[in-house]
Amino acid sequence: MIEAKDVSLTYQDGTQALKDVNLRIKAGEIIYITGPSGSGKTSLLKLILGMEYPTEGHLRVMGQSMVKDEEDNIRKLRRKIGPVFQEFKLIRGRTAFENIVLGMRFLDFTPKEIIENSYMALERVGLKHKRDSLVDKLSWGESQRVAIARAIARKPSLILADEPTGNLDLDNALNIMDILTSLRDENTTVIITTHATHLIEDKEEGTFIRIQEGRLKMERRGVEAYE
Amino acid sequence: MNKRAYNLAYFLKESKTLFKIDFLSNIFSIISIGLILFILSLVLLGWRVSSYVIQIVEREGEINVYYDLSLQEKDINYLMEDIEKIEGVSSTSLVSQDEAYNRMAEILGKEAGILELFDENPFTPFIEVKIHIEEVDSILDELESMLGIDYIRDNKNIIDRLQNILIILKVLGVLALVAIGVSTLIVVSHIIRQGIYNNRDQINTLELLGAPDIFIGFPFILEGVFLTLLGGVIAFILLKLVLGLGYSKLFTALPFLPLPAEESLLIPIGIFILLLSGLLGIIGSLFGLAKDNEKA
Repeated sequence: MIEAKDVSLTYQDGTQALKDVNLRIKAGEIIYITGPSGSGKTSLLKLILGMEYPTEGHLRVMGQSMVKDEEDNIRKLRRKIGPVFQEFKLIRGRTAFENIVLGMRFLDFTPKEIIENSYMALERVGLKHKRDSLVDKLSWGESQRVAIARAIARKPSLILADEPTGNLDLDNALNIMDILTSLRDENTTVIITTHATHLIEDKEEGTFIRIQEGRLKMERRGVEAYE
Repeated sequence: MNKRAYNLAYFLKESKTLFKIDFLSNIFSIISIGLILFILSLVLLGWRVSSYVIQIVEREGEINVYYDLSLQEKDINYLMEDIEKIEGVSSTSLVSQDEAYNRMAEILGKEAGILELFDENPFTPFIEVKIHIEEVDSILDELESMLGIDYIRDNKNIIDRLQNILIILKVLGVLALVAIGVSTLIVVSHIIRQGIYNNRDQINTLELLGAPDIFIGFPFILEGVFLTLLGGVIAFILLKLVLGLGYSKLFTALPFLPLPAEESLLIPIGIFILLLSGLLGIIGSLFGLAKDNEKA
């Protein structure tokens, strides 16, 4: 699914976000990435989504080489990914439902499937009653859940969730974690970054990556650890 | 529901939203485009009218031959026979002094009373010679060498002048078409770029979700076509008003001027302007989108 070999990322202002990252993630895995603010968590997700390109090393996502020359193919690759952005990136002036539908219109779904998936996703994040609310009017936590609903409605092969629980209370945060981890059962690879380590420390399965100053430390728990 | 129809509804709604976001600026653009296209339609109108007039004048090509008034009727008949033998002459007919008077009275219409100021009929008889206009030069050469002819009045000068005007109008038409095309493209592409700038967050999000360029750009193309088509409709309405007003004035002032029917001008020019406006809308929008991609 994802293969990184000696990947480094240095921004134009000279900041080194990631250094010599080596990573191999298989389909259906769940990965929790933790680390302090500015450690490189978001940068790693940006590389995987093709928002940034490695300045050194090689990165492949679902067989796609992540280099600038492959921009068109990377755009196509994104259709198989469900991103949940830290700042949500919801489209203002549209309802929660319209935001979810808009993320699927150009995918291989029929109109009926688009509508059904959107309803189901809203229901899954507990926002069915807010379907016709403008996203501008939603609370921070509700907006975050709409962003998650948009990602899961797309039925992607890979979910990239950047701090998906950052603005939620504990109950909602645990609920969202459960939703995201349950996607594993649908053979979706899920990568979650979080600084809330208390939400994942008792997880028995998954790959746990700690990023510190751009370098990775990996630990595998549960079934994957023995493969 | 079909996926394309499903998305078309979205594209229409999006272009409506884009239009609303920059409402005033869009309204001014529509008016500007409408006026620009109206100028083009006026040039086209002049072009078509003069082409028509030249065609009529050429089709009705005739020369008036004023003979020596001392000629007897028998000599006049001989002269007419000789003229008919010239290559390019299709027929001749004698116009008497009275008929010449009546013709002028008919042309002058309400103003014919002016002729009554003359004590005697001021017109002279002449031979009306119907010709093929392309042979006019050789016919004139032959007529000038004939005896018994005092004066020949041809409308070659008028045709030459009209043809010169037509050439000027054609050049003006092409220049106007180019200038209007370029200015409309600039206006439309600027509006589209403004729309892209206003919606850059949405575009960026859609790109990150993997939306293809055509999906992102289609509402902008629709908006561009919508702007120019509305401009085209304004130009068409103005043209109809001006044509209606101009025709009624012209017919009153110059009733003998051969003008084409109003509909035969309005419909083809109107269709051309509307098609052109749509085309310019598409090209302008694509240009705006292409410039944005380059920048990205």
